[in-house]
Amino acid sequence: MTVDVQKFQGGGGWMTKAGALGVVGLGASLAGIAMDTQKALFSYLVAFSYWAGIAFASLILLMIFHAFRAKWMVVIRRPLEVMAATVVLFVLLFIPIVMGMSHLYSWVSPAADMGAEALKLLAHKKPYLNVPFFVVRTGIYFLVAIFLSHRLFGWSTRQDESGDVQLTVRQRSLGAGGLPFIALVISFAAFDWLMSLNPLWFSTIFGVYYFAGSILSTIAILIILTNKARGKDLFGDHVSVEHVHNLGKLLFAFVCFWGYIAVSQLLLIWIANLPEEIPFYVVRFRGPWVPVGIFLIFGHFFIPFGALLSRNLKRTPKRLAVVAGWLLFVHFVDLYWLVMPTLSPDAPLFHWTLVTSFFGVGGLSVAFAIWRMRGHFTLPVKDPFLAVSLRYRQP
Amino acid sequence: MSAGADHGHGSDFVPRRFVLAQFGTSDALLEGTRRIREKGHKKIDTHSPYPIHGLEEALGLGRPKIPAIVLMGAIAGVCAAYSMMYYMNVVDFPINVANRPGHSMPAFIPITFELAVLLGGSSSFFGLLIGLLGFPEPYHPLFELDSFKKAAIDGFFLSIEVPQGGNQDGVIADARQVGALNVEAVEESER
Repeated sequence: MTVDVQKFQGGGGWMTKAGALGVVGLGASLAGIAMDTQKALFSYLVAFSYWAGIAFASLILLMIFHAFRAKWMVVIRRPLEVMAATVVLFVLLFIPIVMGMSHLYSWVSPAADMGAEALKLLAHKKPYLNVPFFVVRTGIYFLVAIFLSHRLFGWSTRQDESGDVQLTVRQRSLGAGGLPFIALVISFAAFDWLMSLNPLWFSTIFGVYYFAGSILSTIAILIILTNKARGKDLFGDHVSVEHVHNLGKLLFAFVCFWGYIAVSQLLLIWIANLPEEIPFYVVRFRGPWVPVGIFLIFGHFFIPFGALLSRNLKRTPKRLAVVAGWLLFVHFVDLYWLVMPTLSPDAPLFHWTLVTSFFGVGGLSVAFAIWRMRGHFTLPVKDPFLAVSLRYRQP
Repeated sequence: MSAGADHGHGSDFVPRRFVLAQFGTSDALLEGTRRIREKGHKKIDTHSPYPIHGLEEALGLGRPKIPAIVLMGAIAGVCAAYSMMYYMNVVDFPINVANRPGHSMPAFIPITFELAVLLGGSSSFFGLLIGLLGFPEPYHPLFELDSFKKAAIDGFFLSIEVPQGGNQDGVIADARQVGALNVEAVEESER
């Protein structure tokens, strides 16, 4: 079985639009950083961790598919590879965070009013939490992710030309073998970029929490993409309702996973009630931050859980895309809830750079992804399991 | 037990009649099942040594009813667990543990979840076995046929229940027409 597609050359309009939106948004955010440094930087961190998390999670999902030798997903694999390959862009987008570290992370130069005990603890954590090591660690995270995504994307596109089965073997080996490393990368990235905002607080499951939300967004984007990417040379035309059903099931599974991780983190800290572990929740459980938390419980878990129970909904691509879009929105609220209470513990804070950073970072990543896509097939045309994938039926 | 009641039971008994059609291959069984359903036969079932892909569609079974049963079981589990813990910790025997309130939601979540899983899982098992498969039913008229033993070895069978007052010969003719190699009829005996 072969598919009648040519190499993708379209998407120019979308690329220009997304790129322009990205440049304008990023410019406005940088102007915001110049005007109101701290608020704009925190907003930028929310947007950065949102989109970077999606790029890292795409890579992880791709590698999980390879590790499990999944065949059904071959038809939707290329967009995942491209999304994973955008990880290199985030090296550039990380520059504002490095430049503004002293405004984001209180451990960079601890203020005297934190109290003697906190200062002593921070001095104890100095060997890990210091600027050079932070930058080196982030460099390592990006090196690992860029290496893995570059190899997987490269081998996959090379197979489009040669049809060499050996390339499939290599992708599967690297997918399985690289998983422990990329798991540590996203976990420690979450510790460094997000958890160290509260340098005295720690939660070992925090990285998994960030991963859960990010991979949920990745699947949501895949669902919306398969809906929209229909037309000449696009993979969406070859995706059947059976594939969409599987994506819906994955979305459902990771909604449950996110809820499970969120409860696990809360429960252990709540039940132990130790002074060094509870500050994170004390801020979020009191006063005006409570409604945001309740919104997350229902918006991020109960509502999508109830909706995705329906088999009918999972097999109706348009309705599933609505749920996916909703989850993309609540994931942003989730990261906002993780980051912002550090800056403004007394009341939820909305700064206009939240919007500009979201579209700035997002526009650039989408434009970059389309640029990486051009000149390649939108599905792995010579993958040995493409035929199996195309005739996939629910068991 | 009086003789009259016994006699009444006997006169009410209307034996069910079955036609058993044997096919040579699983594909022939699939095709035969589809065609026999097109002929308007309602009460049909298939018997094969292993599961065959596409047989649900051929039999016209539709969607399974299990998910709804499981959902009800899970909701019952949630309600039972939460109300049980609330009653014990708040109403019946409140104990001050580290000054936490009696009604502590985070502490209630694991048990609520576990009981939802337990009742959801067991309702799928018992709902299927008792509600949908008719367990326990140790006897079926088809067991009277010797050839039916092959359903557990290498035989692909389609059984059609002849409607009350229906024409058994017509059903047999239909079964032959859709490609059955061997067709037998059996009548339920009174027990």
